[in-house]
Amino acid sequence: MRTVRILLGLAGLAALAFGATLAADFGMASWRDTGQALAFFVGGPLAHDAVVAPLVGAIGLVIARRLPPAWRAPVAAGAVASGVLILLAVPLLWRPFGVPTNPGLHDRNYWLGLGIALAVVWLIAVTAAVLSQRRPS
Amino acid sequence: MNRFTAAGHDERVTSRVGAWLGVAFGLCFLTGLLSHAIQHPPPWFGWPSGPVWLYQATQGVHVVSGVAAVPLLLAKLWSVYPKLFDRPLIRSPLHALERGSILVLSGAAFFELVTGLFNVAQNYLWGFYFPTAHYAVAWIAIGSILVHVAVKLPVIRRAWSGREVDADRRRFLRTTWLGAGVAVVATAGATVPLLRDVSVLAWRSRGGPQGIPVNRTARAAAIAVPADWRLEVVTAAGTRAFSLADLTALPQATEVLPIACVEGWSASASWTGVRVADLLRAAGSEPGAPVRVTSLEREGLYRESTLPGRHTEDPATLLALRLNGEVLSPDHGFPCRIIAPSRPGVLQTKWVTRLTIEEIQ
Repeated sequence: MRTVRILLGLAGLAALAFGATLAADFGMASWRDTGQALAFFVGGPLAHDAVVAPLVGAIGLVIARRLPPAWRAPVAAGAVASGVLILLAVPLLWRPFGVPTNPGLHDRNYWLGLGIALAVVWLIAVTAAVLSQRRPS
Repeated sequence: MNRFTAAGHDERVTSRVGAWLGVAFGLCFLTGLLSHAIQHPPPWFGWPSGPVWLYQATQGVHVVSGVAAVPLLLAKLWSVYPKLFDRPLIRSPLHALERGSILVLSGAAFFELVTGLFNVAQNYLWGFYFPTAHYAVAWIAIGSILVHVAVKLPVIRRAWSGREVDADRRRFLRTTWLGAGVAVVATAGATVPLLRDVSVLAWRSRGGPQGIPVNRTARAAAIAVPADWRLEVVTAAGTRAFSLADLTALPQATEVLPIACVEGWSASASWTGVRVADLLRAAGSEPGAPVRVTSLEREGLYRESTLPGRHTEDPATLLALRLNGEVLSPDHGFPCRIIAPSRPGVLQTKWVTRLTIEEIQ
């Protein structure tokens, strides 16, 4: 195991070093680009640790404490699916710097699509909950 | 203090989600590296011209595994979230280094997924050139993943051996796979025909002139085809000019080939035109050498491309004049465009005005 760890570590450090030289080339070319890219780099973990994770925790607590047992798993699964769908829809729906849509690209009604997807998710979640409630446990 | 006791925070869960996240990032890295090499080929690199769907498949895997990685990354981070509140914050220089490396790992992972998703949506929240940044950070991401696995290998081994995964933990894992599945089904229709109407968040529709989407319209490229347009074919023997009538008079061939965008969408169509190999022979040259393709487009990063010798030889490579039986619409490259098997869409140059044979030195 020791050899495997050393080899993995060395391969990782080599990739990191190469990535660092590419990043340095990128950064040296423009300060504005460096600032923006760094903001994206640090922004992800910050937004996750300070906003997304506490929100997930709070929703999880509400589900665990306030819902009857039969409803917990289906509602949790429905909430996860909804969260994923909403996150993936953000770049399509919120387009402050989006280029104009092209014929055949980004030209669908994404609000309608998201609405239908969420409706299907919750229809399945509620059906699953009702069925498991009726089943004698 | 033990505030986080839920099943999701168990190392057996962390390592299983981590394994799948590693697979997703590994696929993204390898397919991304391929796409990079096809567009910026080092001298030793060669990319086959067949099967025709090869690039469509590798780039589809790139984008689909990237989308699947979004819920996997969130589940993985939720699983280890309590570690953020470990006290003391730093126990030793080595511990500080490990915590720092986790910040680099999650920063790089978020960077790749967020910029990738916004890029396929053609929604540029940033001013920098996306491919350079996405490529550089890809190396940082894969490097920090490898280091992370090296550091955590004893924990991973412990987590995969021995104790069974109980019902609560299995439920967390099932919900995670469900999230990844929902993400894939919601978007994969951009490239998988069967899912086209199911994937409500795919970035391509069934639309587009002649049934095929367009990424750069003739108007955006400021194309005006001159009345005396000729296709120039520049060979070692000299330059030959072909009018549209000349090209139509040459033997015509029809091939079904996909347009496969680096942004992960793809669409197959039936293209008709002159085989590039035949055209080169008609111009007094031989296929097999690379050919530089120049567009009428005056500006833009993709106004020129180089067809490798392997593609100029392949009979499926066309200088297309027609799409799905109709004359090419202006947005699809009228008067003629290159369509070659297994190549990124940005290299399928439209509005072609010149082909230059780059003789092998």
